[in-house]
Amino acid sequence: MRGRLTRAVLVFIVLLVLVAAQEVRVQIAQQQSISERPGNPRRSLSNERRGALLDAAGNALALTKGARRIYPAGTALAQLVGYASSQYGESGLESALDSVLAAPLPTSSSMDVASLFRQTGQAANASGGDVVLTLREDIAKAVDDAMPQGIHGAAIVVDPRNGAILAAVNRPTFDPNALAAQWKNLRTNPTSPLLDRAFAGLYPPGSTFKMVTASAALDNGVVVMSDTFTDPGYFAIGNFRVQNDRGEITGTQDLTGAFALSSNVDFAQIGLRLGLDSFYDYLHRFHVGDELEVAAPSSRDEVPAKDTVIPSELAQMSFGQGGLAVTPLRMALVGATIANQGVLMRPQLVKQFRFPSGRLLDVPPAIWERVMSQTTADQVRTMMIAVVRNGTGTAARIAGVTVAGKTGTGTHTGGPPDAWFVCFAPAEHPRLVVAVLVEDAGYGGAVAAPIARGILQAALPMYGK
Amino acid sequence: MTVSTLASDAPRASRFRSLAPLLVVLAIAGLGLTLLLPLNGWFPWWELAIVAALFIAWQAFPPDGLAHDRTLIPIVAAICSLGILEISRIDPYLGRHQTGSLIAGLLIVVLGQRLFVQFRRLAHVTYPWVLISLALFIALHYFGQEVNGARLWFHIGPFNAQPVEAIKLFMVFFMAAYLADKGQAIAAVRWRELGTYARLIVPLVLGWGVSILTLVLQHDVGMAGLFLGILLVMLYVASRRLDIVFVFLVVSIAGAWVAVHSFPYVQTRIGVWLDPWNDPLGRGYQAEQAYFSLAAGGVLGTGYHQGHPGFIPDAATDYTFAAWAEEFGLIGGLALIALYGVLIVRGFGIAFYAADRFTMLLATGFAATLGIQVFVIIGGVVGLLPLTGITLPFFSYGGSSIVANLIMLNFLWLFSRERAPDSV
Repeated sequence: MRGRLTRAVLVFIVLLVLVAAQEVRVQIAQQQSISERPGNPRRSLSNERRGALLDAAGNALALTKGARRIYPAGTALAQLVGYASSQYGESGLESALDSVLAAPLPTSSSMDVASLFRQTGQAANASGGDVVLTLREDIAKAVDDAMPQGIHGAAIVVDPRNGAILAAVNRPTFDPNALAAQWKNLRTNPTSPLLDRAFAGLYPPGSTFKMVTASAALDNGVVVMSDTFTDPGYFAIGNFRVQNDRGEITGTQDLTGAFALSSNVDFAQIGLRLGLDSFYDYLHRFHVGDELEVAAPSSRDEVPAKDTVIPSELAQMSFGQGGLAVTPLRMALVGATIANQGVLMRPQLVKQFRFPSGRLLDVPPAIWERVMSQTTADQVRTMMIAVVRNGTGTAARIAGVTVAGKTGTGTHTGGPPDAWFVCFAPAEHPRLVVAVLVEDAGYGGAVAAPIARGILQAALPMYGK
Repeated sequence: MTVSTLASDAPRASRFRSLAPLLVVLAIAGLGLTLLLPLNGWFPWWELAIVAALFIAWQAFPPDGLAHDRTLIPIVAAICSLGILEISRIDPYLGRHQTGSLIAGLLIVVLGQRLFVQFRRLAHVTYPWVLISLALFIALHYFGQEVNGARLWFHIGPFNAQPVEAIKLFMVFFMAAYLADKGQAIAAVRWRELGTYARLIVPLVLGWGVSILTLVLQHDVGMAGLFLGILLVMLYVASRRLDIVFVFLVVSIAGAWVAVHSFPYVQTRIGVWLDPWNDPLGRGYQAEQAYFSLAAGGVLGTGYHQGHPGFIPDAATDYTFAAWAEEFGLIGGLALIALYGVLIVRGFGIAFYAADRFTMLLATGFAATLGIQVFVIIGGVVGLLPLTGITLPFFSYGGSSIVANLIMLNFLWLFSRERAPDSV
């Protein structure tokens, strides 16, 4: 009987050792990873010393007043700037740039025995760094005003010359200054107001992708501007039949006509003439399908694996269907490449880091890729001017300013097509590229182009020469 | 030296020598509490003085005049002091209430010593314990208050009582008496002698099963697990039958599986245990906050009143240990676990030297009760096990629990005999 008692007590000793070992694990091995998790209310104690996010003009986009985090741009940049809350965690740039913004937790690593003898509160004074962004609060607010309420979609504004992202506004949106009141709805609402559609939403680009196809075909030399195309309203590849968006017959025309009237039939043939290898070569040059490598959380485009693409799919990809799905930011970058004479700049959100030590770190603009020759870019730009002058994008015309653009209608299963419009202005010396996407809204020229026009009208006077 | 000499010829030690360890603990605790608690005003110092006096009376006046163990009571005094310290920091009102419960428990022990010392009269009392427990459960069902999905409380005037804490003791008495009588027969029984087997096991299972079933119906799955653990340990010690213990375990795991699938309450706790970070705003919130608390503590702790254990809901009852380990760190947490370790090892040691089977089984049951509670609660807080609503003995806030645990510890103390200095 005594032996059994000895064994029983041994079992209990082992159990207590297990408990102690787990406590060691939580308090030493996992200490840091647990402490840094969003939702740790101790973080909000250090949130009072969290750094600020500033726009390019020095206006605060996220700042701390007392214990509150304030977002002056409100609904305009809610998803991109995001929020930092001890209760709801972090999102957007607040999350992505947390390592710079966050002040150290008041309880620094307790492994440091010296901290025992240090004055308490010394570590507590350390504050976080600031980050200057390329965003412009005034432009973002103008875009927010120009975007109708009630739609689902995104608008993004980029400076094509340096890749600076000036605004990215989503619909539906929310007020990051009043999270608590809306939280339950934000989390459960099927329209996903928390989703940064501009950076992370993936949509079939539809005819806006003809910018890529046209650039590739002209740059590669398989077509020239004077080639003529005949569109009888359909084009058969084996069993597959290509048709135009509204089933119309655009007739016989040159490349500019095919582009301005957005003939799927003509572009299916251009894509086939270009061939799979060249088409994918230009996808790579535009970096379609690559990570966007911006500071904010973003999605990677969906591009079918090259070796699985059959001719009918290549034909569809030539007008932005056939399994392609891209972010609004990506289409803005395609437009920016053409506006910037064929040179793709890296998309840029951060202009300068201001570390707590006082050190400043500037982030200069960078070339990502020379995608096409300047001549090709000029030719595509000319065609894009025609789209707005007398093609599918006339709704974007602005008196006194030449606008170049391309409409798109991304058809997908489960709803009406997504409406796209990608444009830049002034076409002669482009300062602003605007990409607008409206989910399940119909024709790009009818729905998205007027919104883009409103954005250009408001933003051009705000954005220098 | 043989065991019988230890038990019967225990030395009558000088009163001071038996009190010395307790006096040291009380002096340190008194100094610490005086410095750390705001004693001027709302926390009257004389309440702590009464506590100290009662601890001394307990140790100094054994009802049988024999010299009993010198370590149990000082350790309990230490754990109680640390508990009051941390509970007062979370909620001063609860700290005072806990002190009141401690005084009540100590009074019961000290004043009831003449009754408690006659425990051997209960050596043949078995089924009355089951009937009393059943009666309490039925009363609880009709007059109890439901808190957090479990109906566990009586509200009698200003007092709240949790009868399951008493039933815990009753069950140990029932099983000790039953197994003292039938343990050897159970040890000898073979599986093919089904009739004999049933005759021996069924009453035990029925008596114990009544409580366990009721507990499960009351949604107190943690307490049911505790009862199961006590049964397994006592059955093993009484019979050496690991095969029977194993069958019990398998049946219980099957029962637990049914419980998990029948009670969303249990399912929630298991889910939180497996993934505390899932849905932090809902079910896992408390467990998540406890992890933050532990992590904030690190090795050395934030220091008393420097941490933020108040972020944990119900910290004083369910997560006192997390609050403690935040402010006093891993060092403090391990020290507390070590104190419990000594208590548990001492408990089994007392069983080891017990004079008779009944006493030995009672001591085994009480030591196991302590051990399982400590394992289940601290294990739950640090994430080794799903969290249950049992209290950490002597430490976390809970009046019924502190009274019942003091009575239980008093029995262990009464069973003990101090070893003579020359007995090494």
